[in-house]
Amino acid sequence: MIEFQSVTHAFDDVLVLDDVSLTIDDGEFVLLAGANGSGKTTLLRHCNGLLTPDSGAVRVDGTPVEDDLIAARSSVGMVFQHPRDQFVSATVGADVAFGPENLGLERDEIDRRVAAALAAVNMAGRGDDRIDALSGGEQSRVAIAGALAMEPTHLVLDEPFTGLDDPARRSVLERLASLAADGTGVLLATHDLRDVCELADRVIAMRDGRIVVDGPPANVLGDLDGLDVRVPSE
Amino acid sequence: MLTYEPDDTFAHRLDPRTKLAVQIGFAATALAHPTPRALFVLSALAGLVMAGAGVSLRRTLVAYRFALLVLALAPVLSGVTLGAPWFDRAAATASGLASYRVLLVLLVSAAYVRSTPVRDSRAAIQRTIPGKPGQLLGIGVALVFRFLPVLRGDLRTIREAMAARLGTERGAVDRASTIGMLGLSRAFDRADRLSLALQARCFAWNPTLPPLAFSRADYPVLVVAVVLACSAFI
Amino acid sequence: MATNQTSVERVDDAVVRSFARAAVLAALMGAAAVVGSIPIPFSPIPVSLGVLVIYLMGLYLGPVWGPASAGLYLTAGAVGLPVFANGASGIGVLVGDSAGYLWSYPIAAALIGLIVHRGTALRDLRSVRLPILVGALLAGTIVIYAMGTAYMAWLLEMEAWEAIAAGALPFIPGELLKIAAAVAIVRAGRITSVRP
Repeated sequence: MIEFQSVTHAFDDVLVLDDVSLTIDDGEFVLLAGANGSGKTTLLRHCNGLLTPDSGAVRVDGTPVEDDLIAARSSVGMVFQHPRDQFVSATVGADVAFGPENLGLERDEIDRRVAAALAAVNMAGRGDDRIDALSGGEQSRVAIAGALAMEPTHLVLDEPFTGLDDPARRSVLERLASLAADGTGVLLATHDLRDVCELADRVIAMRDGRIVVDGPPANVLGDLDGLDVRVPSE
Repeated sequence: MLTYEPDDTFAHRLDPRTKLAVQIGFAATALAHPTPRALFVLSALAGLVMAGAGVSLRRTLVAYRFALLVLALAPVLSGVTLGAPWFDRAAATASGLASYRVLLVLLVSAAYVRSTPVRDSRAAIQRTIPGKPGQLLGIGVALVFRFLPVLRGDLRTIREAMAARLGTERGAVDRASTIGMLGLSRAFDRADRLSLALQARCFAWNPTLPPLAFSRADYPVLVVAVVLACSAFI
Repeated sequence: MATNQTSVERVDDAVVRSFARAAVLAALMGAAAVVGSIPIPFSPIPVSLGVLVIYLMGLYLGPVWGPASAGLYLTAGAVGLPVFANGASGIGVLVGDSAGYLWSYPIAAALIGLIVHRGTALRDLRSVRLPILVGALLAGTIVIYAMGTAYMAWLLEMEAWEAIAAGALPFIPGELLKIAAAVAIVRAGRITSVRP
């Protein structure tokens, strides 16, 4: 469970998060919508302590994030834009193993987690492939596998579809759907809701650092006008 | 270009630490003894090492062609004198022997490069250099391996874009500073994204190290390395 | 949970940021060694931009992470990544004819960083006066060529003037060009070494 309690954050005197309170339960699939600069990325980076609030608190499973960053970062897996720049190894398997190695797990357990994470993103048996030789969609999926190998309860993704063509986008979406079906919570920031709404339990939209819309997709799609969000056409 | 090639030679089966030790021992004794007799023995040994790693002499010489140019030029420069006798044979011979030992060291290191994948070198660094420097160097080598092709691509793109915009007619300083500035700012953008991914994946000082173990074949080779290193002091 | 997380010694976030920049600049140095050369007028030798990256390491990473980045570059080349001039690699290169230049890189980066930043905390480069900037880059260049030619002379049993004629003189125009380029990059002020 991720909880925001009156979180405020400013960069150079510009308020980017303005008194945000929010609770995301385990297993929930949440879409975070809003224009560029509305505060989505800043909100996401508070979920695992990459940023700390100026005031207010963020808790993961009841513990304030800054009290145990390792616990927060292994419970909340995060995938950023530009997966190309997030890899630490030149080959797929070595890269996915990076997180579990940092947790100090036994080699057998690491191997098991790498195999499971690759299978979860439809990349089973591709551990020896060079990351450079993968397509954009495959790179995105390997980046997700790198987060999954930490066995997180929540997976947080910031605009993971940037630069992907439609088939690649669908291949990533389909994997997210299957992860959610297996009980992993997903928090997905995007400004393009066209084909993700049917997967989501909940849509949250932001404007100027505040949450302005929060509810099940069916109820709130009509409220997204003027937020620079692409919504499904009837 | 000289790089790792998957193969099943004797050298491929050795532990990377053993191979590093042999190179250091070989270089130490070659630098200490630029005499015809010592170089004769070391030539035979270099031949053995290359055969043991399946290294092609011709390809290695091509890979090191620029170094060879300097090595060939040195005896000529040393021999030429400004005045009678115009060519000092003793000086040229001394310099020629000195150059030849460098060639032998290069050939032996080619055997390491061909027979050792980067992940083995990374493991050797993390397991040999103690503490934080070893961890940073080991992961750092993996990162350089990962980002080298990405940044080569960046530099190529920058140069092509400059050429397309009549870049060849601009001054040399202007061109160098443009390439430097664009190259640096892209590199820093990538580094800043990478650092988020490293933090999110719990980058730690004490991870599970990559597996590495000496086998039976390593011990006699390690003895050879020690003998070589000791012979530097004779 | 199966993980023994209390024993994980996390690398501090500020260290991770500097380390990531150092690692990527080491890779940039390797990329420049292969694709980064440009022809210059009145010289038969095209200018490799590698040393420009060493300047940038000292200027933008400072006297601690600058040399760390250069050291990482040397390590990567030693274990077989094709990052040395013209894509060469291997420990042999680190004792070969150009080894003196290579070993001087961390020292030159540290010296440039120390002079420009006057300590380990990074200053805003726009506040550095021009003579200090040029002086730091010249000092770094002198270290590179002094170590490079001295080692070459010793290794190949050459006289000092022979080594200087082969290993320094032909490169002077190119080095002046790179110093000018580094100054132009700093003066443009678009890249910051100090983070928010």
